[in-house]
Amino acid sequence: MKKDEIFSVIVLFFFGAVTTILSLKMDIGTFRNAGTGMFPLFLGVLLMILSSLFLSRNFFQNKKAPVKGEPIVEIPGSTKQMIFFLGTMALATLFFNKLGYPLISFLLMLGLLRILGIKRWALNILISFVTAVGSYFLFVQWLNIPMPKGWIGI
Amino acid sequence: MFESLQQLITGFGIAVTVQNLSYCLIGAIVGTIIGVLPGIGPIAGIALLIPATFGLNATSAIIMLAGIYYGAMYGGSTTSILLNVPGETASVITCIDGYQMAQKGRAGPALAICAIGSFIAGTIGIFGLVFLAPPLAEAALAFGPPEYFSLMVFGFIVLSNVTGKSLLKSLMMAIVGLIIGTIGLDPVTGDARFTYGSVSLLSGIEFVAVAIGLFGIGEVLTNVDQPLEMLEQKVLVPRLRELYPTLQDLKKSIGAILRGTAAGFGIGLVPGPAPVIATYASYMIERKVSKHPEEFGKGAIEGVAGPESANNSACQAAFIPLFVLGIPFAPPTAILLGALLIHGVTPGPLMISQHPELFWGVIASMYIGNFILLVLNLPFVPLFANILRIPKKILLPLVILFCMTGMYTVNNSVFDIWMMLLFGAMGFLMRKWAYEGAPLLLALVLGPKLEVAFRQSLMISHGDFGVFINRPISMVFLLATVIFLLGPLIWLMFKKTKKGGIA
Repeated sequence: MKKDEIFSVIVLFFFGAVTTILSLKMDIGTFRNAGTGMFPLFLGVLLMILSSLFLSRNFFQNKKAPVKGEPIVEIPGSTKQMIFFLGTMALATLFFNKLGYPLISFLLMLGLLRILGIKRWALNILISFVTAVGSYFLFVQWLNIPMPKGWIGI
Repeated sequence: MFESLQQLITGFGIAVTVQNLSYCLIGAIVGTIIGVLPGIGPIAGIALLIPATFGLNATSAIIMLAGIYYGAMYGGSTTSILLNVPGETASVITCIDGYQMAQKGRAGPALAICAIGSFIAGTIGIFGLVFLAPPLAEAALAFGPPEYFSLMVFGFIVLSNVTGKSLLKSLMMAIVGLIIGTIGLDPVTGDARFTYGSVSLLSGIEFVAVAIGLFGIGEVLTNVDQPLEMLEQKVLVPRLRELYPTLQDLKKSIGAILRGTAAGFGIGLVPGPAPVIATYASYMIERKVSKHPEEFGKGAIEGVAGPESANNSACQAAFIPLFVLGIPFAPPTAILLGALLIHGVTPGPLMISQHPELFWGVIASMYIGNFILLVLNLPFVPLFANILRIPKKILLPLVILFCMTGMYTVNNSVFDIWMMLLFGAMGFLMRKWAYEGAPLLLALVLGPKLEVAFRQSLMISHGDFGVFINRPISMVFLLATVIFLLGPLIWLMFKKTKKGGIA
């Protein structure tokens, strides 16, 4: 069993444990009149049991020990790219209401295209602009979906 | 039976007027577009367009809104196949094999088989509606809380068994989904649970955020995680003759379509998110009956044909409890109930006798709507398949923009976008660690209903767990669950014993 698999199952075990502990703080009730905490309590305990089962089953089946030095999560050399990508999406979400939909969609496309390797600014700006305008007309004008107006005010 | 046929012919006479044909066409087109846009499902689509029907008569209004419903069901499968982003909840299972088919340059056959399967399912479903409505609706009334609980448990076990390589891992994902489903208000007492003062969490975690996050954003992040040179790899663009299914594809699919239709129709009568359950059940059936189950998850056309047919069939069947009992068993039909009431029509046992033109007109229009969807969408298969020509460097940001936009439109809430991103990161890690998202999603949808069924069952029985065994239908589902769980183990032990005996 690989190291990252062990790690993932341990995470699940702790998720189950946290659910169990938090459920115990709620009203459990009785079987006749179950309280708010009874169902998540069952689920938390069940998750802990299943993750323990998985760990023990694989421990006994797999005699080969995990390779020392094996990374917990293997990311083949594009971590920086993915973090920038995720970060751009997070920033866009943070300023979604303030800057407004048209501007945010333009800036989001600009950022993501740049990260993925569209280096020519003219092309990047053109694609971003066309996309932002197109999605504005599709969602705001045609489908009449209310979107934040932000600075531009449209 | 002959009277029903006569009424159906009358219904066709009402449905094929220029006016009603136009509304059916508009509904089907708008529904398909709505289904393609992630985040805006049939519920939102129908709700948004109810005001547009105020000037119409009841029959025309329901014809148009029904067109949106099954149009959206078809449209949802388009983004599932092309982008691995489920357009709506019932399209999640199509992502599994449909997207893999697209990756192998077979997006065209996948899209075409969806249209063909939906049409065949719709045609058969119509006849089911006409002839089986009264007795089937009566059988569905026999389901009480213990039966729903046992059925859902069976569904979880079966689904966990057919997705992914490890039953235990899939079961753990189902439990995680159930736990996430407990966030929000307790469905029985109304107390806040796991919200910690957050107003946004009071309504729970939005399903669409989880679906788009796990499947759509997770897939995008998996692609972005590769070196830039990998993103420049040529997409497998199909040649013209590869855009449509081959005879071999049709032969493989016809069995799946018929089985999916039957499963979807039966499940569509059961309260709850029937199209979702129907697609999962159909996928399970196809994987079990297939001579090559190892192909599932890698682009098996049966894995697309069956679930899509089940989806359409379940949508048809969902109209039975709505019209015959006046009870909407699925959220989209709840909106349709509202539309019917707005137009002065009260569905129920008397609807057929008091408004025969509406009942039979809508039934007939559903068949016409399915035909329109087939005629509209088959020619567009090459257009849709060519979306894959767009370089990934441009396509991926476009997907992100549409996902974020679609997500915002659900509740006009930035919180939902944050949830989508969180589950997107989770989806990325799940892919790394070989966990399946489908069991988690099904659990999220069914979790609150499972809990309500569980607690109601115990209230009915005064805390006696025997209620799940004493009722025959519930007992059958639980027995089937045990057989499903222990069956492979017993079979393995039997084979080992036999081998030992021969040796």
